Amino acid sequence: MTSRYAVLPCNGLDKSVGCITREIALGLVEKSETDLICPVMFRVSDARYTKIAADKPLLVLDGCATRCASKLAAEKGLKVAKKITVTEEAKNRKVAVGKSLKLGDSDLRLAEAVVEELLKEEKPKESPAGQDFSTIVYDYETYKKDKFIFRVPRSGFYFNENDCWVIVSGNRARVGVADFVQQSLSDIMFFTPPAVGAEIEQFGELGSIESGKAVFEVISPVSGVVTAVNDELISAPELLNENPYEKGWIAELELTDFDEDKELLLDFEGYFKVLKRKVDEFHVK
Amino acid sequence: MSEVTFMGVPRSRIDWYPTIDYDKCNYCMDCDEFCPHNVFEIRENEEKKLIVKNPHNCVVFCRACGKTCGLDALSFPNKTETTKRIKEVRKELEGND
Repeated sequence: MTSRYAVLPCNGLDKSVGCITREIALGLVEKSETDLICPVMFRVSDARYTKIAADKPLLVLDGCATRCASKLAAEKGLKVAKKITVTEEAKNRKVAVGKSLKLGDSDLRLAEAVVEELLKEEKPKESPAGQDFSTIVYDYETYKKDKFIFRVPRSGFYFNENDCWVIVSGNRARVGVADFVQQSLSDIMFFTPPAVGAEIEQFGELGSIESGKAVFEVISPVSGVVTAVNDELISAPELLNENPYEKGWIAELELTDFDEDKELLLDFEGYFKVLKRKVDEFHVK
Repeated sequence: MSEVTFMGVPRSRIDWYPTIDYDKCNYCMDCDEFCPHNVFEIRENEEKKLIVKNPHNCVVFCRACGKTCGLDALSFPNKTETTKRIKEVRKELEGND
């Protein structure tokens, strides 16, 4: 077993999902070369844990959407390699988490399943950037409002009304978010990628991005299977602010039925109109 | 104001908005503070201190307020069903042209 992480669980004592993060962390320590970071001790002893977090890829385990462990990692300026939220894991596996703070059988099984998956995940990394998308020519139209500039690529891209884009090459697609998203969120601090291999329906969730202001769920413009994610965004989410169409792309998918998906998508002209309306409304407030 | 549409469908015909589970909600109001679309309304003097006041202001497919809720008290419709419904209404409207 060569899998190893520096694992930071939220260890939330007063919620069962918080207690499950502890169980997952302990499972990883037992079954791999993982080092444990205690979130309570971390508050008072930087030196001890900062080194561990620098030596190994950091895995952050949050129990619930409050994401205390993620926030602690951000506060300490740590680079996060992977993040897991127990409520999401439970949902994905259709497990109902018990209310009792003493973990029941199904809670323990959930923790075990997450540990196994984490240890299995030593996929040899394919080059994430697909060759097919290296020749895109980016030509932007812009819409300005006050100090904000919103770019929209003029050709080749399709959009949904949730401000996510897709560009297609054969049966493969690359997906991301539009400038409107990064401008509205301002400084993006976290990127939670979708799982490679996950089957996504049109308008399904393709991970999420988060700033100090809000969390934005990436809403897939197309249906398909996730073949790659832009790992760079995990350690450098600011790429999304720099340019969400180029280095800030989110994921690649193998398409299921693009012809059908296309019916519910907008081309440049259609999206530019929607964008202008949204920007104007947003700024009225 | 002209009627608001989503993907060409009148917004009022799409049932997409959060539902509050009052057994879980502790009225922290984080969701209301977050949502820029005035979907919620705070009613200090009533038993249900938070209600979904303007369901059709909610952005179709957005579940962001749900992510602010540590208690998981907000739920949303099934996306696949909603997409199916949007397609149906679009077909119907095409037929009327």
